[in-house]
Amino acid sequence: MTEAESGDRALLERKVRRAFQVLLLQRGRNPGVKGWEMKRHLGRDYRKIIEVLSEDVAPMGLEVFEVKGADGTDDSSRFLLRFKEPPTVSEAETSGIRIDDLAVLAATIAFVNSKSGRVARREAEQFLREKFPRWRIDYSLDRYVKRGYLEQDERGMLHIGWRTHAEVDEKTLMTMILSRAQEAAKK
Amino acid sequence: MGQTKLDDYLRVIELCRDVESSSANPFDVDIREKILILKQRLPELKLLDELLVDAEAMLELSNIVKLQDEFLKQKASSLYIDPLLVQLKVKLLPKEALSEAFVRSWHPLAQLDQLSPRGLEKAFVYWRDLIPISERFKDQFGTYGTRPGQVDYSDLVSMGVFTPEQFETNLTQLYGDLLEQSKGGWVDYRQFITDDAFENKVRRAYLLAFLLSEGRALLKTEPLSGKIWTMAIGEKAKGPLKSVAISITGEG
Repeated sequence: MTEAESGDRALLERKVRRAFQVLLLQRGRNPGVKGWEMKRHLGRDYRKIIEVLSEDVAPMGLEVFEVKGADGTDDSSRFLLRFKEPPTVSEAETSGIRIDDLAVLAATIAFVNSKSGRVARREAEQFLREKFPRWRIDYSLDRYVKRGYLEQDERGMLHIGWRTHAEVDEKTLMTMILSRAQEAAKK
Repeated sequence: MGQTKLDDYLRVIELCRDVESSSANPFDVDIREKILILKQRLPELKLLDELLVDAEAMLELSNIVKLQDEFLKQKASSLYIDPLLVQLKVKLLPKEALSEAFVRSWHPLAQLDQLSPRGLEKAFVYWRDLIPISERFKDQFGTYGTRPGQVDYSDLVSMGVFTPEQFETNLTQLYGDLLEQSKGGWVDYRQFITDDAFENKVRRAYLLAFLLSEGRALLKTEPLSGKIWTMAIGEKAKGPLKSVAISITGEG
């Protein structure tokens, strides 16, 4: 290896390390780093650095995930470090998450998606009331709005939140709900 | 401002707002038709306020166009499924299966939460400005007065509620009453202590607590239904004592 090559390699390693630190430490209110910030920290070719980092963290069960911004530009994209594979149900339970709360979130995401991405909160509550007690619905919806899984606008309309786009494979969720319901109906 | 010439504008604004604040299909609004109406009316508008209403109607229509765009994008994605079908499927699924579906499509974020100087400053300001708990709800509830505490038998005697003789007599009377009502079976605790006067109700609850402590009566609770049962027993019960806190209200 020539001196120039080893210099390049050292620079790349330094940038990958920097990218990992930037992604791991929460800066603002929401996790993740915007494209323009990545460019500032890592330079113009930050996407290549992210690719290398994504390969490096794969053995640890992690990946770098990109959530496209509203205008679809590179600068508005948000990059996040997340689990490559979903946890098991028992792993999720041991992290203190209640099964009932997750069921409310799953049903709400499915309902909002089926209503073209926006639904009046009172309509969602009415839908959920067929399955869950009222107090749990209020509590869970408020909590998930606060945590970014759902968004509520000033007109009281619910939308899918940035965190759901970042953490949840919505296609898999919808497919599983539909296929599981068929199995449940057969039983 | 002529109300009649603005009626069309107000109707358009109201229609758009209704669609925006419900999950109605944004394509229910015929944008072309509405814009033609506004265009026809525009030459009649002279005053600034009237022109502002026109601008507002255009803004609402542009919001509907935005919603139509989102609606199409969502419908074109594979996430769109008939709402009735989703409602039916969710209804069929047990909660466990719903949460399992979520977990199996979930990739939690990995991040470190750390204390930042800004967070520390916010915490400090919050703590500095926090009113002591004794002062916090004064406006809503007034002062607290005497805090809840314990009143034992000797306190009641010294307060003149009972004389020692009266107490024993009342205790025996209540025991007889319970023995008669329970007849070897369980009776509803709340029904047993109920009396028209709240004071008497508290008195009966207090005396019954003595019978229970002495082992002359038993108590059992059903946490799920919230029911409490009691019964008198002929022989003193043996075994470890357990404490149960029961609140007595003026109702029932």
